[in-house]
Amino acid sequence: MFQFDTLSLVFVALIVLGSVPNLVYSFGYLPHIERKWHYLIHYFAFILSMLGVVTAGNALMFLLFWELMSLTSWQLILTEVKEKRTIDAARFYFFMTHFGFVFLLLFFLIVTDGDLEMGFAQMQGIAHAFAYPTLLFFFLILGFLSKAGAVPLHVWLPYAHPAAPSPVSALMSGVMLKVAIYGMFRFLFDVLYPWPLEWGVLILVIGALSSLIGVLYALSEHDIKALLANHSIENIGIILIGFGMGMIFDALGLKVLSSFAFIAALFHTFNHMSFKSLLFMGAGSVLHETHTKNIESYGGLIKSMPVTALTFLLASVSISALPPTNGFLSEWMIFQSMLGSSHIDNMSLKLAIPFAVFALALTGGLAIACFVKAYGITFLGLHHSANAKHAKEVNKRMQTGMLMMAGVVLSLMLFAPWYISHFDAALFSLGHASVYDTIFPDGFWRMHSVAIHGGVVSPLALLLALVGVTAALWYGYKALRVKERIHRTWACGYRTSARTQYSATGFAGPIRRFFNWLYRPDEHFEKETLAGHATKFDRSHYAVHVKPLFETALYTNAARLANGISYWVYRLAHFEQTRYAAMIFNLMLLVLFSFRIFAHAFSWATFALESVVMIISIKVLIIGDKK
Amino acid sequence: MILYLFTIAILLLIAPLLLTFIKALKMRLLFKRPLPLLQGYRTFAKLMAKETIVSEEASQMTRVAPFLILSPLLVTIFFLPPAAGGAFYVSFVDAFTITGLLALSTFFLMLLGLDSASSFGGMGSSREAFISALVEPAMVLTVFSVSMMAGDLGVGQAGVNLVHHFPKEHMASYLFAAISFFILLIAENGRIPVDNPETHLELTMVHEAMILDITGVYLAIIETAASVKFVIFASLFASLFIPFGPGLSAPLALLVFVGKLFLIAAAVALIEVNTAKLRLFKVPNLLGIAIVFAFLSLITFYVLGA
Repeated sequence: MFQFDTLSLVFVALIVLGSVPNLVYSFGYLPHIERKWHYLIHYFAFILSMLGVVTAGNALMFLLFWELMSLTSWQLILTEVKEKRTIDAARFYFFMTHFGFVFLLLFFLIVTDGDLEMGFAQMQGIAHAFAYPTLLFFFLILGFLSKAGAVPLHVWLPYAHPAAPSPVSALMSGVMLKVAIYGMFRFLFDVLYPWPLEWGVLILVIGALSSLIGVLYALSEHDIKALLANHSIENIGIILIGFGMGMIFDALGLKVLSSFAFIAALFHTFNHMSFKSLLFMGAGSVLHETHTKNIESYGGLIKSMPVTALTFLLASVSISALPPTNGFLSEWMIFQSMLGSSHIDNMSLKLAIPFAVFALALTGGLAIACFVKAYGITFLGLHHSANAKHAKEVNKRMQTGMLMMAGVVLSLMLFAPWYISHFDAALFSLGHASVYDTIFPDGFWRMHSVAIHGGVVSPLALLLALVGVTAALWYGYKALRVKERIHRTWACGYRTSARTQYSATGFAGPIRRFFNWLYRPDEHFEKETLAGHATKFDRSHYAVHVKPLFETALYTNAARLANGISYWVYRLAHFEQTRYAAMIFNLMLLVLFSFRIFAHAFSWATFALESVVMIISIKVLIIGDKK
Repeated sequence: MILYLFTIAILLLIAPLLLTFIKALKMRLLFKRPLPLLQGYRTFAKLMAKETIVSEEASQMTRVAPFLILSPLLVTIFFLPPAAGGAFYVSFVDAFTITGLLALSTFFLMLLGLDSASSFGGMGSSREAFISALVEPAMVLTVFSVSMMAGDLGVGQAGVNLVHHFPKEHMASYLFAAISFFILLIAENGRIPVDNPETHLELTMVHEAMILDITGVYLAIIETAASVKFVIFASLFASLFIPFGPGLSAPLALLVFVGKLFLIAAAVALIEVNTAKLRLFKVPNLLGIAIVFAFLSLITFYVLGA
């Protein structure tokens, strides 16, 4: 029923590390929630169901807890319904998560042969006997990646995460997405093990696309929680890049490199859990004090909320993958595993991987830009609104929660070798090569890449060097006893005010303009000119809104198509019972024929015969004669 | 070890001199009376003696950021390839770490720009964010390519390997990587055609706009950071792409190395005199060239082995 192997325990640790600080934060947040019992019941059920998913020992338990996790998180989004958008977001989330669930159910029905209480180990034989393993793979990734939020199944994240109360967004983004990654690890390793090369390439491509698209939409976002949600898409992309590299290396027989890439993916999973939870908590505190999610109304909060500002800074540096933080270490490992691609013999693959390197590096650069924007506009400068002016530091419990999560971030940075040894053990238990001794051949000081002529990094030495040099400079400055004078900012003779400093829209302006072909922004610009002068005006307003391309291209059009088809069916049926009966009959024929094709051997002759039968039956029974 | 520390001391000492040298050379080429070569040190000394004026809108960030801008660069300077053969060097630090440290410094510089609530600061930060986001991929790809030719990802080790084994057989990809790296050197250090370090015109400022409200010792620290950054890039270029000289005896090798740094500075000055500053939205074209050359370098290395 339950199993506690190393992989499960690693993810149990992830959930515990993610939820305990969240719990403390949550209790600080509780006084502002009206439906306390509703919130608490679902909150604890949510955490327990996530624990249940990662320890489930058979398909039935897995699906049960998976569904429970989806439903409780859906209810948690609906905790504070103040506007219609929240309900829409929750409905969208409900739809997307069940879209994925259907594919998971299909996957399990096939690999368990109907006996859902079967253990995972037995499924492997059935999966191997199944004629279309790639179909199983697609069911699996549709199921898990719709939860994890990878392109193109990512559209629900920027709606659902902002709508939820902040501790819940932190849990959903920091922990729940990782449970989907657990599913990928568990079922790709346990059930579908020998992977063809193409699967790995597909995961790599999805990862590279997700990371770029996530960060690009994050840059154009003004809602701080939607910005962070878009960054979750980016980081899931980075995890998938590591995962895909691992699958590629494994398919090519490079076992050591494969383990290294998987460890990198697992490490980034942990890191993302830590800093993303911390960022959502920080955003939650800011939102709590200013009562707005719009980043343009913040500003200068570092003065009134120092603890939030400091922890948010730590998380920003970490998510931007800057040394010596943990985010840097895992991204470094993923880069190193991609550089291991020079060992690949397949030339086209070898030439393709630099493009993934390019995508990841560009993502890194844009992430820095995005977090300078998020941090700088929120915490630095002058207050953009009265709400920001009256903000105070949040209560002690919320502060403690954030500080505890900052502790998790720091522990991932300081004790990286210890964490990596457990990731290594998890992979070893899944039948992969153990590479801990190759990564840390001489103690915990230096971290080696496993590739030949690979790189080396020494996280602790870097940290010590940076702290040491900064401290030396600081003391040098103190020793100089420099006189300090306070004066207002020089602004060419004018007074600096909140309206003259840069806004988030302005900050992202150059990048938005460069990627205009992707964003296709909806711009509104109005000004009241004076006496007909084109250049003189006393009031102007500029707003820009970026609608995600995927949403318009894939979802809106899919909805339109479904509407079209249902209208067509409605017209055909024409409220006549015989026609409905005919339709049901045809549908059953279709199901029977498809079942025969999937479950038994495929032959073109029977396929043609069945198609003819289908066409005739549809023509005669449904469409009938033209009137 | 002594040689190692001595090299670092020399690099730090000549850092302001190099930037002054570029300026002086440019002035001479434009038939102006060049400024004295010691101007960099004089400015430094003058700034150190001044009081600091902190903007009243600014937060603690202004008081902390200058140190955090300089310290990653100071740490980086310890990881550079050796200038003289036989000297101690840190073999294990790879180019990603160095790229990351440079980005860390830029990160705090951009935050500093946003701190004083002036529109110039935001403008500079916004532009810097745009440029450095595009520099990052080119940098990583170039580093990837060079590390293949040098046979090691560690920067120090790569420098040593290139001295012992000049990649004659990979000349094409080596040259492509060199071109790409030189463009990055210009872009990262804010030289013309990407940024003009000498004007204070809001249309053109990038680096200067971010530090407009910084004075006194803080300004001295940030100016030092700018010159140290130039030295880092110049000595990386000198060690990785002009790997001649470290075989000589130590004093001579150091002399040759410093000579190479001045050569690179002179090349930068010549480019500055002969090109106009690009509009901000044309800068991606230049960086695109760097990215394309980096890709070309990798592809020629893989496909042709040349």
